[in-house]
Amino acid sequence: MVEQPLQRNQPGMIDDAKINAPRRMSEPPFVRRLLIAVALGFIALFLVVPLVSVFAEALRQGLGFYFQTLRDPMTVSAIELTLIAAGISVPLNCLFGVAAAWTIAKFDFPGKNILLTLIDLPFSISPVISGMIYVLIFGAQGWFGPWLIEHNIRIIFAVPGIVLATMFVTFPFVARELIPLMQAQGRTEEEAARVLGANGWQTFWRVTLPNIKWGLLYGVILCNARAMGEFGAVSVVSGRIQGQTNTIPLHVQILYENNNIPGAFAVASLLTLLALVTLALKTWVEYNTTGLRGTAFTPLPLKKEPNRKLA
Amino acid sequence: MLRSQQRGVLPGFRLTLGYTLLYLSLIVIIPLAATFVKSSELSWAQFSQTVFSPPALAAYRLSFGASFLAAAVNAIFGFIVAWVLVRYDFFGKQFVDALVDLPFALPTAVAGITLATLYAPNGWLGGWLAPFGIKVSYTQLGIFIALTFIGLPFIVRTVQPVLADLDSELEEAAASLGANRWQAFWRVIFPMLSPALLTGFSLAFARALGEYGSVVFISSNIPMKTQIVPLLIMGELDGFHLARATALAVVMLVISFLLLLAINLLQWWSNRYNATNPA
Amino acid sequence: MSVEVKNVTKKFGNFTALDNVNLKVESGELVALLGPSGSGKTTLLRVVAGLEFPDAGNAQVLFYGEDVTTIPASQRKAGFAFQHYALFRHLNVFENIAFGLRVRPKLKRPGEEKIRARVGELLKLIQLEPLAKRFPSQLSGGQRQRVALARALAVEPKVLLLDEPFGALDAKVRRELRRWLRKLHDEIHITTLFVTHDQEEALEVADRVAILRDGRIEQIGTPEEIYDNPATPFVYDFLGNVNLFSGRVREGTVIIGETEFAVEETAGETDTDAVAFVRPHDIRITREANGQKTFPARILRCNAAGPLANLELERLDGGGNFAAQLSKEEFQQLQPKAGEQVFVELKNVKIFSDDFSI
Repeated sequence: MVEQPLQRNQPGMIDDAKINAPRRMSEPPFVRRLLIAVALGFIALFLVVPLVSVFAEALRQGLGFYFQTLRDPMTVSAIELTLIAAGISVPLNCLFGVAAAWTIAKFDFPGKNILLTLIDLPFSISPVISGMIYVLIFGAQGWFGPWLIEHNIRIIFAVPGIVLATMFVTFPFVARELIPLMQAQGRTEEEAARVLGANGWQTFWRVTLPNIKWGLLYGVILCNARAMGEFGAVSVVSGRIQGQTNTIPLHVQILYENNNIPGAFAVASLLTLLALVTLALKTWVEYNTTGLRGTAFTPLPLKKEPNRKLA
Repeated sequence: MLRSQQRGVLPGFRLTLGYTLLYLSLIVIIPLAATFVKSSELSWAQFSQTVFSPPALAAYRLSFGASFLAAAVNAIFGFIVAWVLVRYDFFGKQFVDALVDLPFALPTAVAGITLATLYAPNGWLGGWLAPFGIKVSYTQLGIFIALTFIGLPFIVRTVQPVLADLDSELEEAAASLGANRWQAFWRVIFPMLSPALLTGFSLAFARALGEYGSVVFISSNIPMKTQIVPLLIMGELDGFHLARATALAVVMLVISFLLLLAINLLQWWSNRYNATNPA
Repeated sequence: MSVEVKNVTKKFGNFTALDNVNLKVESGELVALLGPSGSGKTTLLRVVAGLEFPDAGNAQVLFYGEDVTTIPASQRKAGFAFQHYALFRHLNVFENIAFGLRVRPKLKRPGEEKIRARVGELLKLIQLEPLAKRFPSQLSGGQRQRVALARALAVEPKVLLLDEPFGALDAKVRRELRRWLRKLHDEIHITTLFVTHDQEEALEVADRVAILRDGRIEQIGTPEEIYDNPATPFVYDFLGNVNLFSGRVREGTVIIGETEFAVEETAGETDTDAVAFVRPHDIRITREANGQKTFPARILRCNAAGPLANLELERLDGGGNFAAQLSKEEFQQLQPKAGEQVFVELKNVKIFSDDFSI
């Protein structure tokens, strides 16, 4: 494959600063060194030390105990449930992200800015509330509670509730990556495909999708990290029934509260590895493209569109 | 006429808009609306009793205070980190840049147990502080530490791109007009970055207000002392006091919406500069 | 008649982009849509392509007599080259050109061999055979434009539509491509409509030029016709530099200040205010007065750099400033100096009565 120099030399990337270096204008060396020391000290204290300590605590009782904890049936079932929750919510949010980005980036319609704000909404809501809203609807005292009990359907304190809560907290991730990307790419390539005789699906599969694949991948990586790691929202709807409604983060909590600290950290180390893999993949995607910079991780409001006027 | 209803040449408008609205309604809007409907079932007396109870008032104070302090500390150090990452070269810069997002990527439960263990009196860091009589875990200080951890990336990630895009000609112009380095920073660079800094601060603050996972382990969850609002709501839910939890949630939601509005306005304000300076 | 547009109106909100436009293009003709930005020329082209749909009404778009008004772009068989090319950035030159063939329904899709042959042919036509494997980002602007053209031609369109084909290129490449396009058109004779805001480009390349203003066609004709006989002051002004002299018309004569001369076209007009339009190169400068036909003026500035000499003059009767253009020879013969007083004669004067706006 030919390496596409896709937007690599566009302005606005952090790399530019490096290319310009050495800057003609800079601070005196001791100021520079001081600032670097302060920054690194802060990062070390708040990020590196906790990161290292996860693995140190996890291995405190030795490798045997570590793997024994991971092989424990309760751990295995927690891993399975986490995979199920992520396996359902990530594809659904992916589909939503593509649909929302298509409709917002390729068409003009009134109320678009409100839609953009609503898509962002789950980010600004406390995880506890994100879980609670489903209790209000599906819980025993909720809207559909009596009906669900009558028909013997469990949503809250059961797997469907966990999936719903996960879907809510990861709702915006893919959409947020794709909307700005597709807005920036505009409509002309799709129009060109149409004029050349392509039908709707052909236009999407052959023109749109190849153009957004990196953004899509990026959104999926971030979405998945949050889906597998969500704690607060899932904690509300789970009921924490061991072996049944326990996800990995909830299992960490149970082990920790049962004073099995090394066990809790052993399981936590799995999630930490997931976080490190996520960061590595994220950096790799950023290296391959430009313009993608964790807009889902840093939930700046999506850029609102002024009313489009055609000249 | 059929023709006038066509929206240009690209297909799928109705399908994608319909699906978007349906999914958005089912997952987000209807459940959120349920909260408000549910809370309207409460009488004003019941509502105010919950919302203005002493533990609730103490929880608001602690939530706001700790979140504000954490965001402020992040504003200072996050700014320095962003500056160093954009302006200077040093060994391991790429690694540090990638690591900044750790608090986003690391599940909050992991952050919670890690910080609680680290800052416990017998922990790596708590052990250093204990001889001075400083307790972190299970105190308000611990909550502040946890909120600082989860808010760390916001300032860095909002300031960093703006700083990187800043035209070096601006500083050169300031220098040519006789400004020294400090003046150039304070009068030219800082004002250009301040909208981004404020946006990052608001984001960190908003996130800290709602935070649960990383705090629940490091806080002793004692009402009036170390209970932030999400912990209070969780407590009500665990006790099956759904109505009281809903009332508190409504207060939180309103605050979140106001913050979201403020952040949107800030965003609009910071884009104002860019309008005259197209990339 | 290969393309016919009837009664097309298109509004975007309050903005009327096209206001009841009618246009006929003959088979094999190369027609330019010329106008300032916002005149509706691109919208008209997009309506023909099926990328925009005219507002409800009795609007019609016909290709070779067949009504295609409601046929979507993908089935209209119009080749469209976009202003910024809209090349598929993830496909190489070859695949970009082949796209239209590959997306055909199974039954009509040519085999791989045929696709290769067709694309090869087109690559030869645009003289980019060695670059077939390149990606759009690795091409120059002019090369991209040629690929965009080849891609549009690959589907054997009934008409070719070009939106500002040379708009994003620098002046030199622009001129080369302009000639290349004319040559190409002479070879393949496909009915072509192209949009431009550059009057020089339109006059040089097109068989006929349609001038648009505020969503209406102001005038349509061969380049000579519209240049020599502009129908409206707007057209006159749009096609080149112009001097305006306000005065009066009375039974075949124009009175500007103290000058009076006969003009054929105004024979009908009786005693009204009018404005005389004169191109700078139709102004003759002499040292001697020539009766009623000339009026005195003072030279303010001379600039003889370039193939033509540009003069700025001031009327001595207080009628304002105007510009004149002399050939190098005229300039050397006359050797005018700034500050000098001369006499001015107007040729090819075009009169428009006073109720107009440019």
